[in-house]
Amino acid sequence: MTTHTDDTKSQDLAAEVPVRLNWSQHAPEVYKAMIRLETAAKRGLDPALYELVKIRASQINHCAFCLDMHTKDALAAGESVERIVQLAAWEESRHFYTEKELAAIELTEAVTVLTDGFVPDEVYAKAAEHFDEPELAQLIAAITTINAWNRFGVTCRMTPGHYTPGGHA
Amino acid sequence: MTARTQLLDREVGKALSALSAAAKKGLGDPVLAELVMIRASQLNHCAFCLDMHLTLARGNGVDEERLGLLAAWEEAEDLYDGRERAALALTEAMTVLTDGFVSDEVYEGAAKHFADGELAHLIGLITAINGWNRLMVSRRVAPGGYTP
Repeated sequence: MTTHTDDTKSQDLAAEVPVRLNWSQHAPEVYKAMIRLETAAKRGLDPALYELVKIRASQINHCAFCLDMHTKDALAAGESVERIVQLAAWEESRHFYTEKELAAIELTEAVTVLTDGFVPDEVYAKAAEHFDEPELAQLIAAITTINAWNRFGVTCRMTPGHYTPGGHA
Repeated sequence: MTARTQLLDREVGKALSALSAAAKKGLGDPVLAELVMIRASQLNHCAFCLDMHLTLARGNGVDEERLGLLAAWEEAEDLYDGRERAALALTEAMTVLTDGFVSDEVYEGAAKHFADGELAHLIGLITAINGWNRLMVSRRVAPGGYTP
């Protein structure tokens, strides 16, 4: 039996790796705080832009569960397959995105890869050109939030492939 | 240097505070919590968070040698016990996700020292400090103003 969305080659596929830890059951109040953070962070942000941010951060952090969720949600909300596929190489496919989206994606990368340096002035300044101050604060909060989901997803090895669009809280 | 916004939505701040508080409470080990938060803040280069958590660690009686050598904990075996070392290894793996996954070795090392409930809260705490690090570094919030 396969549980994948795409089961055309099921007999050739590797076995699904089990989840390491059902963290939300073991720490329900932590999960509740995460939902609260998510709800607060996305206020005032364009939902289509937020999906791009979530997909890009999840790519960089290698969160399979989050990619499964947010690519499906983006597609269900009318995002194009092309823009989702090209996102991993956005620097070479800038003409698929608006300048505002590009500024947000660039900020997403800088805020996600803190361990390699700081958030450069150039990247921050470009974002500040396209987002007014309250919106920029929300964007930073949103990038922070997807980074948090990515950490739970990767560490607990949450299993991708079972998400149905619109299925999260 | 570009001036950066100091805005932080009140509800975002409260939610992340709730996350930190719940995680810290569930872990039930304030000293370990500070060591973890300092190590993540070192890796993420968060000056504000380092200032805050070094102050809190000192307030919890952590000695200067353990604070000073934390960035090189792997080479300072006598200063951190097995449980602390497992938590620090997990902190590093979870903080540097962009370089790879959280390896089975690191995860199982932590699972050996922490029961499922504790581990879920430890993972929550590492996630929470990573969140604060992002909010503070991105807005370049100045260190030095923290009072316990």
